Amino acid sequence: MTSLPAYIARRLIFLIFVLIGVTALIFAITMLVPVDVRAMLYVRNIQRTSPEQLAKVAEEYGLTRPFYEQYFTWLGQVLQGNLGFSKSSSQTVSEAILQRWPYTFEIVLFAAPLIIFIGIFLGVQSAIHKDGIIDHACRILAIIGWSLPSFWLGLLLLSVFSGQLRWLPPPGPLDPKLMDFRNSSTSGFIRYTYIDLFDGLLNGHPEITLDVLKRVILPVTVVVIINIAMLIRVMRSSMLESLSKPYIVAAKAKGLRDKEVIYRHARRNALIPVATLSGMLVAGLLGGLIITETVFAFGGLGQWAATAAIQFDIPAVLGYAILSAFLFVIANLIVDILYAYIDPRIRLV
Amino acid sequence: MDMGKRWKEFRTAWQPRIKEWKFMFKRMRESPLAIVGLSIIIGFVVIACMAPILAPPTSSNPFLLSADTELSVLTTRPTPPTVKHIFGTTGDQYDIYYACIWGTISAFRVGILVVAIGLIIGLLFGIVAAYYGGIIDEVLMRFTDIIIAFPGLVLSMALVIAFPTIIPIDITILILLTSAILSLIFSAFKPQRKLLLVTQIIVLVSLFLYITNPITVGLNLSRLDKVLISLAIVGWPGYARLIRGEVLRVKNEDYVEAAKAAGCSDFRIIAKHILPNTIYPLLIVVTLDIGSIVLTAAALSFLGIGAEPNSADWGNIISMSRNWVSKPELLVQYYHTFLIPGIFISLFVLGWNLLGDSLRDILDPMIRRR
Amino acid sequence: MSENSLVEVKNLVVRFYTYAGIVEALDGVNLKVKPGEILGLVGETGCGKSVTSFSILQLVPPPGAIEEGEIYFNKDGKVIDVRGLHKEAIRQMRGKEIAMIFQEPRAYLNPVYTVETQIGEVLLTHRGKDLLERAMQTLKKTGRKASFENRVYKMMLIKPKSITTRIMSRFCSKKALKAEILKEVVNLLRSVGIADPERVAKMYPFELSGGMAQRAVIAMALSCQPVMLIADEPTTNLDVTVQAQILNLIKELRENYKSSILYITHDLGVIAELCDRVAVMYAGNVVETANVYELFDSPLHPYTKALLESIPRPGVEFKSIPGIVPSLINPPKGCRFHDRCEFEMDVCRKVKPEFIEVKKDHFVACHLYGGSK
Repeated sequence: MTSLPAYIARRLIFLIFVLIGVTALIFAITMLVPVDVRAMLYVRNIQRTSPEQLAKVAEEYGLTRPFYEQYFTWLGQVLQGNLGFSKSSSQTVSEAILQRWPYTFEIVLFAAPLIIFIGIFLGVQSAIHKDGIIDHACRILAIIGWSLPSFWLGLLLLSVFSGQLRWLPPPGPLDPKLMDFRNSSTSGFIRYTYIDLFDGLLNGHPEITLDVLKRVILPVTVVVIINIAMLIRVMRSSMLESLSKPYIVAAKAKGLRDKEVIYRHARRNALIPVATLSGMLVAGLLGGLIITETVFAFGGLGQWAATAAIQFDIPAVLGYAILSAFLFVIANLIVDILYAYIDPRIRLV
Repeated sequence: MDMGKRWKEFRTAWQPRIKEWKFMFKRMRESPLAIVGLSIIIGFVVIACMAPILAPPTSSNPFLLSADTELSVLTTRPTPPTVKHIFGTTGDQYDIYYACIWGTISAFRVGILVVAIGLIIGLLFGIVAAYYGGIIDEVLMRFTDIIIAFPGLVLSMALVIAFPTIIPIDITILILLTSAILSLIFSAFKPQRKLLLVTQIIVLVSLFLYITNPITVGLNLSRLDKVLISLAIVGWPGYARLIRGEVLRVKNEDYVEAAKAAGCSDFRIIAKHILPNTIYPLLIVVTLDIGSIVLTAAALSFLGIGAEPNSADWGNIISMSRNWVSKPELLVQYYHTFLIPGIFISLFVLGWNLLGDSLRDILDPMIRRR
Repeated sequence: MSENSLVEVKNLVVRFYTYAGIVEALDGVNLKVKPGEILGLVGETGCGKSVTSFSILQLVPPPGAIEEGEIYFNKDGKVIDVRGLHKEAIRQMRGKEIAMIFQEPRAYLNPVYTVETQIGEVLLTHRGKDLLERAMQTLKKTGRKASFENRVYKMMLIKPKSITTRIMSRFCSKKALKAEILKEVVNLLRSVGIADPERVAKMYPFELSGGMAQRAVIAMALSCQPVMLIADEPTTNLDVTVQAQILNLIKELRENYKSSILYITHDLGVIAELCDRVAVMYAGNVVETANVYELFDSPLHPYTKALLESIPRPGVEFKSIPGIVPSLINPPKGCRFHDRCEFEMDVCRKVKPEFIEVKKDHFVACHLYGGSK
């Protein structure tokens, strides 16, 4: 039973259960909110509504039904793609998500590989030169990076590179003039992917892509600095553990070069726990991006959730929560598959 | 029983454990990271204790910031550091120095309380799940998995918003539930007859009260309380999982089997044999968590859904600098609105992280040596 | 270094610098392996057998270090000082001239690579040129002499280290080379008695049984035809029946390949069954070395005698050696066995006995036989 497809099938079934649990949890949170507050979501003018009218609205929208009934109606709606209406952004939750995901994607696209590859590299180097200068330096820098509040680091970098040195533009996903150009119907700009980074090149306007790149540097730097510590830590300890295993001695006794022993034998085994972590890390980036996007006004999902939160826009925040959990669960699945690919023993689970 | 003999027994039983602790402290003294981390934390403790002296409170509730009325008449922009306001003021003319000093106490409060609550709940779930195993374990672990599946900030954000300001708590139900759980635990572990009897009586009494005359109390939650509760809810599954893993590891060791064979009650086994050997990884996680919880709380305050808008909280002060973000040149001019409070946060978290990280290094060979 | 030795170890001192103190693991070990013979190295757990064998290949792990002594290897008549060898030179010796097999084969194989890959590694490292040429031959025969693959192989032969070669070989599928490797691996597996070697080659270590894994490991060790094989307790973890099979295999190998074997074990039965000569170790010293019959017939060192007497026999009263093995952090002065020896003399407590030839080809380190020269 060491076949990959059978293992994947098993994981998929397991994940469906987790998704059900996740939606149940989100729904339980909705239930925390008092009935009258929830009824207010359906009312246009709160001041003009009397308590009796509010109660009627509550009945109309089924807010007084038993909770299991409400859960299934809600779940049905969610599965059909109807995640509710976001008052703070005056559009449905689904629309809001579709409009904003490209900006978040632009950040994650650069941040995730940088975190993973730099983290692995530094972790391996730290382990090989254990207690050396590289090891101590990496460790201290990583801890410092992890201790910094992301909003503070963002503000700091903004003030230095955009405010003082003027090398980089002020917060925003795209220059306002370029954005008008992109949105106008007369310019002939076609949004193939909705991701400005690619659309710029595809339309033959590289200045748009360049602009995006300039604006993406600082948020990506913040995300990388803050999240890389964990990866370096885990890679390092995993590598140290791997290097002390018997098969490393055997590999050396076979006459393999040191480089081969380290990179081909030790690292492959050490990557296994790191794979799990990096998957969760990437999915968890969505949570941290709330802050980063707010500081850099990037207009992505994180910033939307943040503004919704301040305005107590419950459908929006919960829609964001479902999305994050969903992505997290998918990331776990991908990681599990990767894990099974690297380590054949896992396929027996 | 003879007290002298008992004391001797106690001493000999704990001797090897004390030796391990002494070794641990020695390693800590030798580790520069641990020393630096500990010094930073002690520094903040001193600041927290001396807060009334360092920054005399300006109102009955020292955690409420009050604006400098002279300046607020003159300007609505942050004023740079002067002799009167060492770190400067915010746009609303709140003294940043004052906020930083009293924010230290807030930080400690948030960090320690959240970890404590999360730890208690997590320990309960984790130990029960690990010790009983089977379907109880499965169900509890799936539950914790679901909560862990959420990125922390997202879930706590959702919880903070959703929590109503007034929670109606049915006291009779609370007593009923607690006593029911306790009696279940006691009936399983069998410590002493009297305890079990007492809890069962309480169950019956509260059941009677519930049916006839339920008592409801409206609990008023401040914004900070909501933050605390949300963070605790997000945090306890981590501890539960950790403790469960450790208990599972220890459960199968020889000395537990020996204790069972000698006829020890389950309760005694857990308390005397399992718990002391499983706390070390927990120690590491707790120190690291205090730091990360303070970071998350600061993030929530920065977004505006954390502490009250004019409370002395580090994240809160920095959120006031958000007004100048759109024009980074202004951000440079008003750097004092975010730079120093941020340094406070960073140093505080750094202290705990250094301590936790060095503990990880120290405890790892200790655990491996066994 | 005597003419008729393949490997000679003289007065080897190895120390480990640990948190708990300095461990005097080897205290002047003397060992000689003759060409074509099976030398058994026997002793209790912790007496330094493995450390000795690691030292020969310069594989002593930190915090250990070889402090004193000489190790010589006779390579085709040329005597090489192993301790003085450059790192690269000793690396080329490992797996090629001297190969090593270990106790738990599945722990000493990398769990994420197949048997084929791991044996293939050794082949490529030491017999790479040979295999490349064979691959190129195959390509010539099938008329693909001018293909990209062939060019890559040529570059790998001529300029193996250049960057262009490396990049080009990354993009090449190297099918012919892999086929050659597989052929060789299958042959090797068959030669150690594995039925269905094609299937086993594609398996992962955790899928193999103990005996099968050990055979595969032996195949790997023999892949480059070493003149000496170091076997560190290879059968200790195996069932007795499997153990017998592996021992037979090893005997066969000595017949077919004429290589010497340093067989490390704590099992005197295996020694009696397999070895030509025996070296007995205690607490970091070799205390006696002799021909196997000589050793069992007339053991000289008190430890050897006590060991032989402690073998359980039906009808004979069970006799154990009083006391425990000393800690090597603070080893006893003089002869390390003195506090457990029934013939203990005054001098034993103060002076360490020399390792001298008492009878023909029978060496002992004991004051009873004049070790105080």
